[in-house]
Amino acid sequence: MPKVGARHATVEVTGWVTKFVGGDGSGRKLYTEPVAAGDTVRDILRRVSARHPELDAALWDASKRELGENIEVLVNDAVLGISHTLDSELQPGDHLTLVGQYMGG
Amino acid sequence: MTPTHAVQEAVRAVSRQLPGGYAGKLLRVDLTSGRSWSVEWSPEEMRTYIGGVGLGAKILYEEVPPDVGWDHPDNRLVLATGPLAGLPVWGTGGLTVVTRGALTNGATSTQANGFFGANLKFSGYDAIVIQGQAPRWVYLSINDDTVELRNAASLVGKDTWETQDALSAELGVSGHQLSVYSIGPAGENLVRFAAIQGDYGHVASKNGCGAVMGKKKLKAVAIVRGTKAVTAADPRGLFQAADDIAHDLKTNPLAKSLYEYGTLPGVVNLSKLGVLPIKNYTTNVVPEGVDFSRWEAPKLRQGFDHRGHQCNACGMHHCHIQVIPSGPHKGERVDEPEYEGWSGAGWTIGLTDPVAVSWLNTRIDRACVDVNEFGWVVGWVMECVEKGYITKEQLGFELKWGDADGAYRLLRMITHRQGFGDLLAEGVKRAAEKLGGPARECAVYTLKGATPRGHDHRGRWDEMLDTCTASTGTLETGNPVFPQEMGQPARINIFDGDQVAKLVAGLLGRRHFEDSLGICIFTTRTTIQNICQALSAAAGWPYALEEAVRFGRRTAAILRAFNLRCGIGPDFEYPSPRYGSTPIDGPAKDQAVMKQWERMRELWYEGVGYDPKTGKPLPETLTQLGLDWLRRDLWGK
Ligand code: SF4
Repeated sequence: MPKVGARHATVEVTGWVTKFVGGDGSGRKLYTEPVAAGDTVRDILRRVSARHPELDAALWDASKRELGENIEVLVNDAVLGISHTLDSELQPGDHLTLVGQYMGG
Repeated sequence: MTPTHAVQEAVRAVSRQLPGGYAGKLLRVDLTSGRSWSVEWSPEEMRTYIGGVGLGAKILYEEVPPDVGWDHPDNRLVLATGPLAGLPVWGTGGLTVVTRGALTNGATSTQANGFFGANLKFSGYDAIVIQGQAPRWVYLSINDDTVELRNAASLVGKDTWETQDALSAELGVSGHQLSVYSIGPAGENLVRFAAIQGDYGHVASKNGCGAVMGKKKLKAVAIVRGTKAVTAADPRGLFQAADDIAHDLKTNPLAKSLYEYGTLPGVVNLSKLGVLPIKNYTTNVVPEGVDFSRWEAPKLRQGFDHRGHQCNACGMHHCHIQVIPSGPHKGERVDEPEYEGWSGAGWTIGLTDPVAVSWLNTRIDRACVDVNEFGWVVGWVMECVEKGYITKEQLGFELKWGDADGAYRLLRMITHRQGFGDLLAEGVKRAAEKLGGPARECAVYTLKGATPRGHDHRGRWDEMLDTCTASTGTLETGNPVFPQEMGQPARINIFDGDQVAKLVAGLLGRRHFEDSLGICIFTTRTTIQNICQALSAAAGWPYALEEAVRFGRRTAAILRAFNLRCGIGPDFEYPSPRYGSTPIDGPAKDQAVMKQWERMRELWYEGVGYDPKTGKPLPETLTQLGLDWLRRDLWGK
């Protein structure tokens, strides 16, 4: 349940990853998620993926605590690791992007 | 027993032990004398060197001494396949080209697919080893036991598609029954980044292997699909492994997009991560006003009339022939670009119309240069023109970012070494060094003389480190689908130099393993265990992951020793100033790779067991890899 007084972050699912949320592998899907004090990147991702079993399977590793090898996460257009980790607190207005990893040349 | 009988008996004994998947013979061709002959190689050698790059590395080290440069007749051009080629696993037409290359004057290993590997195997050979220099242009024709060097005078000046058409008509064989790998005008004119192209759209592109073929005056190799059987030692096991691999390709989240769209999703994905190189690394942010929705994988495919053009035994929905739907080249048949084509013939030079890129990409393939190096050369020229470092008078015409016709004009000048194109035909590094001054600062290259693939590696440090330390002119690692199999973490912080260096060191040689099997690296997007299973079933060896890892590192050590002997050592393991610069925008903004470079190199050396001062694999590393003979060569003990 969203916490009282929550404001919102956006979660953008792009390109190939839209396949895991009912899309055709192109374009993007945007989700608006309530953010309350103390909510982390991980919390928001968990909430979104909990509603989409295929995304859940692709996003997380077997322990369900860390990201698996299939999807990259950006926070405010910066790759996770630059300014945020999974445990960074999110602020209202922040923007998460899910990008499929890519192999090949 | 007479000596003849003794030899025959020995040959029979060898063939009795021949592992499954192998033809058991190498075809040797001396272009100088016009002689060809075949030699057996032993099952022990097969287990040690497998095929492809493993076999090529051994031949290169043994037969090309340091005073034999890339353009010397005694340089070897090895066209090798591996034990899976021709077997019913997806993508088993694989070809590996190993030679001393024109860009770095060091080792080259570069791959292509299509049908060559399978056709070669069905003709009774695992590899062709070419030496010498023909007195006039020839092509090599293989039709089962008939091996001939034929006059290629009528092929000179033809591009690679025209060459294949002409040979198809001359030999009376077409479609998948004939595989032709040839050089275009670029190879004939010794462009240092000339490639070898085959089967309408497959390119062995790296380190100027096409210039080596051109120097030998060998225009093409044409192989009619032979009639010799290739069998797996354990056919049931092989079918099971093939099923497991195909299942993974269709269902693994990471491999599935490759299965459906090949490398088309790369443009959008890599742009999000700041890894799409735009306008010669001046930015990685897609410019305002570009209709980026046209670059989504489904749109790229639907935007063209296309039909499948898969390689031997491949079920991937990957390679396609397209028809240009609009514009001045409407109706022309082209090959669907790989990601590298969209990047090198497109974004790197500021060209953002997919139709124009697709057309230019095929022109590049047909003239036959490496599309990556072409992108870095042309992008560099465009930037230098914009900044006034190269003048219109020097170039001979006006050139702006994204000018497809201008890029094509440069392509023709390069492939025929006309005017300013003669300098550009030397590749980015040499051209930039010759021009010097601020122009040099804009050029993207490694100090070894090669260039990266079509990424902005300032947001992909693992590939930058791999590109700079590798001995082949391109990559030696490449992330496996499950890095955990090789004891590496599933993911790392990509801007933490320590983590990056340890990962790259831990994966060293992985690609050599795949490139030795005669299989496409896109159909190996599964567990390494599954690939080992396929190899075990094919050859009849119990082949485990540990042996694969050891094999890859052994091959890397031999290639490194070859390069060291040629004078290519640690001093060259750096990116050029622009290549190693810090992005000023995009998702990797302000991430400064050079601040961590020395530490990364240090950790990489430690991880691979090489001496950081000399670059040599340490004596104990060589012993662990079963390379005591190389230990004696490198260390005298
Ligand atoms: S994945 Fe593509 S390049 Fe590889 S073998 Fe299949 S069709 Fe050919």
